Amino acid sequence: MQDKITGRVYKFGDNVNSDIIIAGRYLIYIDPVKLAEHAFEMLGEGFPEKLRSFDILVAGRNFGCGSAREQASTAIKGLGIKAVVAASFARTFYRNAINDGLPIFECPAVYDAVAEGDEISIDLKKGVISHAGGEHEFPRIPESVAKILELGGLASYLKSTLELDREATA
Amino acid sequence: MNMVEKILARKSGQKSVAPGDVVLADIDLMCMHDLSANFVMKVFEHEMEGASIADPNKLAFAFDHNFAPATREAAEALAAVRRFAKKHKVKNVFDSGCGSLHHVIMEAGLVTPGMIVVGCDSHSPIYGAIGAFGTGIGNNSMAALGFTQNKGWFKVPETIKIHFHGTPMKSVMPRDISQYLVGKLGEDGAIYKALEYAGPYIESLEVNDRALFPLQAIDVGGKCGFVNPDEKTVRYVQRLFASKPSVPEFEMLANDADCRYAEIVDIDVSRIEPQVACPPTVGNVKPIDAAVGTPINVAEAGGSTGGRLSDIRALARCLANRRIHPDVRLQVVPASRDIYLAALKEGLFETLHMAGANIFPPSAGSNQAFNMGALAEDEVMISTQARNFPGRNGHPKARHFLASPLTVAASALTGKITDPRTLEVQ
Repeated sequence: MQDKITGRVYKFGDNVNSDIIIAGRYLIYIDPVKLAEHAFEMLGEGFPEKLRSFDILVAGRNFGCGSAREQASTAIKGLGIKAVVAASFARTFYRNAINDGLPIFECPAVYDAVAEGDEISIDLKKGVISHAGGEHEFPRIPESVAKILELGGLASYLKSTLELDREATA
Repeated sequence: MNMVEKILARKSGQKSVAPGDVVLADIDLMCMHDLSANFVMKVFEHEMEGASIADPNKLAFAFDHNFAPATREAAEALAAVRRFAKKHKVKNVFDSGCGSLHHVIMEAGLVTPGMIVVGCDSHSPIYGAIGAFGTGIGNNSMAALGFTQNKGWFKVPETIKIHFHGTPMKSVMPRDISQYLVGKLGEDGAIYKALEYAGPYIESLEVNDRALFPLQAIDVGGKCGFVNPDEKTVRYVQRLFASKPSVPEFEMLANDADCRYAEIVDIDVSRIEPQVACPPTVGNVKPIDAAVGTPINVAEAGGSTGGRLSDIRALARCLANRRIHPDVRLQVVPASRDIYLAALKEGLFETLHMAGANIFPPSAGSNQAFNMGALAEDEVMISTQARNFPGRNGHPKARHFLASPLTVAASALTGKITDPRTLEVQ
């Protein structure tokens, strides 16, 4: 995973559920491009397109609550979103995002400090999110989890560890 | 250690674990409904090309959303899952019309105390009602780690204990109490936590009613929920195997006397009125007065948190020798074929039919409106379903209230949301 993620922020409130992120009728898809066409479409016409002009989602508490569907994080990745920063995440979303290779960060202070359109920078090495108005620390991602994100998700991670095992025993 | 910690320790080969530890544990059962079986299968085939399923007996599919597929796309998806199951020798396939995922799995006797069960479904914590650890996971966890290795990674959660005591008022049902708890804790009140439901009120409930509590663990952000297993748990499991040659061996991993809690919440159930979760979320729970008088179009007893035999009985008690309001469509959806048969034999369907209800095949009912339950703009539904998010049932401006089966029945009678305490019930 890269050391820094930088970009413009789109801001959501508390308890954004996974039905809002991607409706149940699209769960027949797993392709990020296809899912992204319908991501957040409940929020109004043209919403998925609008989100594509932003890079990072910032949200309040319990982002991704409700259904356990992993397509929620896949759809967000498909929009070209590089990271999600929230005051807190629903546990299924947190788990799915990591397994899906979508970087996510818990940092309640950022939510109050930034507005839509602000540019923020997430420094993964230092564990700091900075913007024009200041800096906020966030708990650094555990190494095992960082490794999964770096390889783009759990499936790639497991394949690479299997390959490493094979090389080691070859 | 408590029950959850003991199961996670046992299944990861350790003497003990503590909250915050991350363990790689053996999984005993992986369950999926028709929607998730379809996409997990795709992830498995695309991402894990060439891999094989470690133990097909540990997989179970129940087609509950599409009880009779209404589109070609849905039919293709179901057919693809059936082909996948054949190819990989998955024998636990419960096809369309079998009932609601977790109820079907429970009744099939696939889960016994002490197991780890994961589901690509957020209501998987239900298995905590019979002394197992159950939690919801996503496609990658299931397809990549579960299918190929029967394993999953879990962070050991802290536990919040909810101590329920007192006797509920007349016409207040377990759904009212479990829903009240969601409102009290809030939708993020227990993120990453395990919830233990305890106290004299929980001890007095049978397993079927206890199950409503872990079913709603996700609504407060919980990782899992459980009731410390007791003699009622054992009796329930023994009954499941009554018609089979023998009861499989299982181990009750009950709480130690000195287990620790992050928090203990005390709830006096005698003070709780009927509760409704108002739109737009499951956490918007209010005493029924807040919604009384709202005109309704559809009423439903069904879904993972409804459609049990006790729900259908409550409905029939309320509607016997009565007729529902002419503006209301009442839908009754049994949660399994066994429940369907029992309700049929007890004459409940005749009572409900005469009252004006329609009986639907065992399934997830109107959950996400796959085969039924779509609402037009501004229409209103009241149901025992688990979720009421806008757009989940048709038009985003349709409104969905969640309530107990008695409140659903009382509202179907009058055509508007009605406090069941105001009606005479047989």
